[in-house]
Amino acid sequence: MPSYSQINEKLIEVTLNNEEVFAKRGAMISYQGTVSFARSFLGGSGIQDLAMRTVTNEGYALMVAKGTGKVYYGYDGLFVNVIQVNNETMYVESETLLAFDSRLRTGTMFLGNQGGVQGILRGAVSGQGLFTTTLQGTGEIAILSDGNAIGLKVTPEQPVFVDPDAYIGHKGNLTSNIVTDLNWKTFVGQTSGESYQVKFMGQGTVYIQASER
Amino acid sequence: MSSFRINTDRLLEVGLQNEKVMAIAGAMVAYTGTMKFEKSLLGGEGFFGALKRKVTNEGMSLMQTTGTGTVYFAHNAAEIAVIPINNEKLFIESSSLLAYDAGLKTNTAFAGLRGATSGQGLFTTTVEGNGNIAVISRGNLITLEVSPSNPLFVDPDAFIGYKGNIAQEFVFDVNWRTMVGQASGESYQFKFTGQGVVYIQPAER
Amino acid sequence: MTIYNPGNLPKNDNLNRFAFVVDVAEEIFIRKGKMIAYYGQLQFDSLGSSVLDILIKQSFNAPLYINHFVVAKGRGQLILGDNGNDIACYDLDNANMTIKASHLLGFSKEVICQESTMPGFLTLIGNGKVIASSSGPVHFLGLPCRVDVQSVLGWADCPSPSYRYDYAHVTGVLSMVGAMTGLTLSGEEKQIDFSGQGTVLIQSSELELNGSDALAHIVSQLPNLSKSELSSLSGAVSQHMRG
Repeated sequence: MPSYSQINEKLIEVTLNNEEVFAKRGAMISYQGTVSFARSFLGGSGIQDLAMRTVTNEGYALMVAKGTGKVYYGYDGLFVNVIQVNNETMYVESETLLAFDSRLRTGTMFLGNQGGVQGILRGAVSGQGLFTTTLQGTGEIAILSDGNAIGLKVTPEQPVFVDPDAYIGHKGNLTSNIVTDLNWKTFVGQTSGESYQVKFMGQGTVYIQASER
Repeated sequence: MSSFRINTDRLLEVGLQNEKVMAIAGAMVAYTGTMKFEKSLLGGEGFFGALKRKVTNEGMSLMQTTGTGTVYFAHNAAEIAVIPINNEKLFIESSSLLAYDAGLKTNTAFAGLRGATSGQGLFTTTVEGNGNIAVISRGNLITLEVSPSNPLFVDPDAFIGYKGNIAQEFVFDVNWRTMVGQASGESYQFKFTGQGVVYIQPAER
Repeated sequence: MTIYNPGNLPKNDNLNRFAFVVDVAEEIFIRKGKMIAYYGQLQFDSLGSSVLDILIKQSFNAPLYINHFVVAKGRGQLILGDNGNDIACYDLDNANMTIKASHLLGFSKEVICQESTMPGFLTLIGNGKVIASSSGPVHFLGLPCRVDVQSVLGWADCPSPSYRYDYAHVTGVLSMVGAMTGLTLSGEEKQIDFSGQGTVLIQSSELELNGSDALAHIVSQLPNLSKSELSSLSGAVSQHMRG
């Protein structure tokens, strides 16, 4: 199976041994060895998923690198983070996903499922697509972030509240809710800038980046 | 007093025990525990303080966070540095301020003619008292000492703030003009003399 | 946080990832606009003043870029910074190194600087120090390798690279048109191919904030174009401006 190695905060190296790795189009920085590139589409299983993506503008062009050698990935000077997925489901925005391989099963998830109407609201308001990408199984993935990404542990006793613009993904057994904080005084006519947050509850990890979208 | 901690250079972690912290609006990225966010009246400067800011154009849109737990702040992936203030006064560009202990007092001060090109106004912000302040910069903040035998020259775009008994001069240097780069329109530099420290960022604004 | 003063500043070394301190004792070429602060008595002269003609003729042999550099002299500590990019100092030991022009921040006066045959790059030859910035830390790769055009920071001691096009996966009319007009080329379609011996310096691809080196190169080529070529160029420019 391809192995991921973090070269520095903005570069990863994927080693292929007659294997393949999927990555964001345009993210290939360099490669050594015999590697060929082909286009691929994210969509998990079948036409239906693809159709859903087209309708909701979550279309995402992927490249699959196949062969034997080393491929280096990075994107626009953004930070790269390698995350271990252990027999769980990782949820991540498609544009945040940098690289993954066939150890994980991909799919799309309608944000609405996780909180009904509030899910849709969250999607529309935060500018993220209504669908998010899911990766399930055991393996590694590489994700992008603007500034360092940190993982915050969520436990049943300690829920985590997150600014939707800083949210990049989560994994584990989590449910989410929109929380609005109506407690501000406005003297000069603007909001506090934190009009709503997303509350994560359960057992898992939420990933945030050091900037607002 | 609340605790300020930097996590991986670009995230500020503030631990609160039923305390308050002030931060620029929109900088909160996550928190645990129970927190309340309120639009603030500019750090206790009051109504006239707000008016003064409108007049002098030293705008600061702040938010007061109160509660118990940990709050994470960040801003556009900029590097963050924590500067402790011990009964001192820090002069700083309001655009470089990320968060500070609610017990500190802020104000505006006249900073002299700095030219329209630098994008900095005529006024700057002062923070005084006892507590921590978190400052944002592009690239890690650098602290340089100024002493009577060692004056310091600084590119205006790199200048963030200073503390101590320092005089800030504008040097319009024929020599300096040759250093004008493509991006900057600066035809002058800052010269600092006296005794204190100057904070700079290794980047242009 | 360390408080620095002329006594404890590093000498000709990094202050942190993003800042480099030059202990100025003799003349050194520095890129304009990258000076952050300095202590001491320093003087900055633009190239092209007659007093420096001797120095320039020997070291700075790149007329396209002469306006981007100055000579710093005097005694003092000069702090360089480049927009939050990582900075590193490279020691040339009878070697040659080619660097993306926009990332070259400075070099010692014994080093000879010439334009590379690859547009937008400068070649530094000889012995001395070269100070260059990069988007994120630099990574060194051995040859042979292929690199995305935007990610090449430079190369050392190796033969001039060439472009390689890989259209094997391009299917469908739209992508073909896009690929042929060069509007949608990404690293997977067009790469820089390095063969032979040497080292390549790569970085995570960056947003081109300031392409004035590319512009300088294009402008210098204008006298070589015929009237019909100039009007083709004008068409291509308007198309890019619309997009």
